[in-house]
Amino acid sequence: MKWRKIRKIFDPTEHSLPNGCVEYAQSPQALVFEDFIRIYFSTRQVDAGGKYLSHIAFVDFSKDLNEIIQTSGDEVLPLGSLGSFDEHGIFPINVVRNNDLIYGYTCGWNRRVSVSVDTAIGFVVSQDDGMTFQRFAGEGPVLAASLYEPCLVGDGFVKIIKGMFHMWYIFGAGWKKFSADSSPDRIYKIGHAISQDGINWVKEEARQIISDRLGADESQALPSVLEIDGIFHMMFCYRESYNFRKANGRGYRLGHAWSSDLINWQRDDEGLALEGNTGSWDADMQCYPNIFECDGHVYLLYNGNEFGRHGFGVAILER
Amino acid sequence: MFSWKKLGKVFDPNLIMDSSWLKEFAQAPATLIFEDHVRVYFSCRPLPDLNGQYISYSAYVDLDRSNLFKIKKVATQPILNLGGLGEFDEFGTYPVSVTRDDLNQVRAYYAGWTRCESVPFNVAIGCAVSTDEGKTFEKMGSGPILSYSIDEPFVMSGPKIRRFNNAWQLFYIAGKKWKIVDGRPEPVYKIRMATSLDGINWKKLNKDLIESRIEEDEAQASPDVIFENGKYHMFFCYRYSSDYRGKKNGYRIGYASSVDLINWVRDDSKAGIDISDVGWDSEMISYPHVFALNGKKYMLYLGNQVGKHGFGLAQLEGELG
Repeated sequence: MKWRKIRKIFDPTEHSLPNGCVEYAQSPQALVFEDFIRIYFSTRQVDAGGKYLSHIAFVDFSKDLNEIIQTSGDEVLPLGSLGSFDEHGIFPINVVRNNDLIYGYTCGWNRRVSVSVDTAIGFVVSQDDGMTFQRFAGEGPVLAASLYEPCLVGDGFVKIIKGMFHMWYIFGAGWKKFSADSSPDRIYKIGHAISQDGINWVKEEARQIISDRLGADESQALPSVLEIDGIFHMMFCYRESYNFRKANGRGYRLGHAWSSDLINWQRDDEGLALEGNTGSWDADMQCYPNIFECDGHVYLLYNGNEFGRHGFGVAILER
Repeated sequence: MFSWKKLGKVFDPNLIMDSSWLKEFAQAPATLIFEDHVRVYFSCRPLPDLNGQYISYSAYVDLDRSNLFKIKKVATQPILNLGGLGEFDEFGTYPVSVTRDDLNQVRAYYAGWTRCESVPFNVAIGCAVSTDEGKTFEKMGSGPILSYSIDEPFVMSGPKIRRFNNAWQLFYIAGKKWKIVDGRPEPVYKIRMATSLDGINWKKLNKDLIESRIEEDEAQASPDVIFENGKYHMFFCYRYSSDYRGKKNGYRIGYASSVDLINWVRDDSKAGIDISDVGWDSEMISYPHVFALNGKKYMLYLGNQVGKHGFGLAQLEGELG
């Protein structure tokens, strides 16, 4: 795949966001309307204890992504109730049209004691063209930890292909202390599940569908899939599993894989050539990709340095 | 009509002197019948840590089959290891319920405990298999076999495994909400069930089996089912959502029956057992387990402080009808 970077298109500090959020616009996810593109993202509120709570917000762009029309002034989706899987944050949300409804797949965050967090995937529905989402049928998740996926099920990305719902998501392979005095770090891989209705899912449990490039301790996140000229392309991000927050080459970068049958995926990210110029907004890190098509163009949204603290940008596929 | 004649306390964990992991509590008894003894699995705790927090293990005691008050053996190690870092059962394996699979191996279903920040804990149900006749168990996987879902968002606990009609039935509880009582979160949970053809892949019924009686937020636990005289009989326990650590609002044993495992008629007046006027079970009774032995029916149950001082035995008088 040959991408041409365009520029950073959204800086959260330049806009008023719901829930008192100021920084972070993470994991942009596009929904194309007739005359605009809505991009959902997760932004952060600081709670009374000084910890972050991620909230969903959106920004509407003109269809050439040059002009911002509006940002979400009101809350798009409240966080989960006390003790629920999504009590401490929703990051990210993936959106899919299904007839007159918009289905949302959330990654809910729940704080733990011995490790920092666990996650699971929730299901929400919008009946107002994506202005707000409501929980469907209950407070719990549709995809959670299971026998061979012991923790950290999240980052669901859903496509309806030939009448079947496909979800690519991540599952935790476990927590690990990489040194005696460090906090536990997590390792996660990309998996796949299918569903007839988008609600009841069957996992290909614990099958890692994307091979490792950095070895067994590679963490893979945020799969995003698009069919281009009869081939399914997946963009995702990957990193080392410890000491990955600094600008030292161990942080997130973008990966790519392709498949013609949705079963076997060929990893192919050596030639992406998306690296940023030193000092630029995406020089130290590139993560949380979202690929979508609009008016004959294929776009790639992604975050840059510090996991999207300063916003997101876009690249375009050169054919 | 039937009633339970109390026979007395069978096992007191405080009398086990040489075991740091089995210091207090003998909770949620569940039996496995052997030729010459009855193995009673239960859950126990070491002393709490400096913050007053407990972890829980499961263990067993073997009772003489011809005299259930005679202890033949007590487990010398936990039957299950705690889970690893960040796993669902890192801080406890409690309670446990056992049955034999098609290979005649003993299979255990247990609740695994993790600790959370905003609420004290969360619970999901795991599965493990024994190759040494139930002395120790190996987990099937490091994750839960029954986990959270849309309609069962948290606190999946209290599994009771049964095999009826060529299928596996799992009765358990699922959390409805966390209710703030006197400034602290208390879970409200109800009795649910799931069915399976292999004991591994489960289909949840997604229905509260037992209607609430004493209040909407009544907590229900220990759904113990036995088939007798053409009907399924469930003994369970229930309590109020607040101030339940004492006599007034604490656990009592309830009863319901069903002909199809799905539709249950609750009638606690038929349970046939209540708290005693004095003694170890004078404030609360809970976690019933009913089993048949030598042509008789028995119930094991907990008394005051939910099994802190062990469990007792009662014998059925009359017929489950």
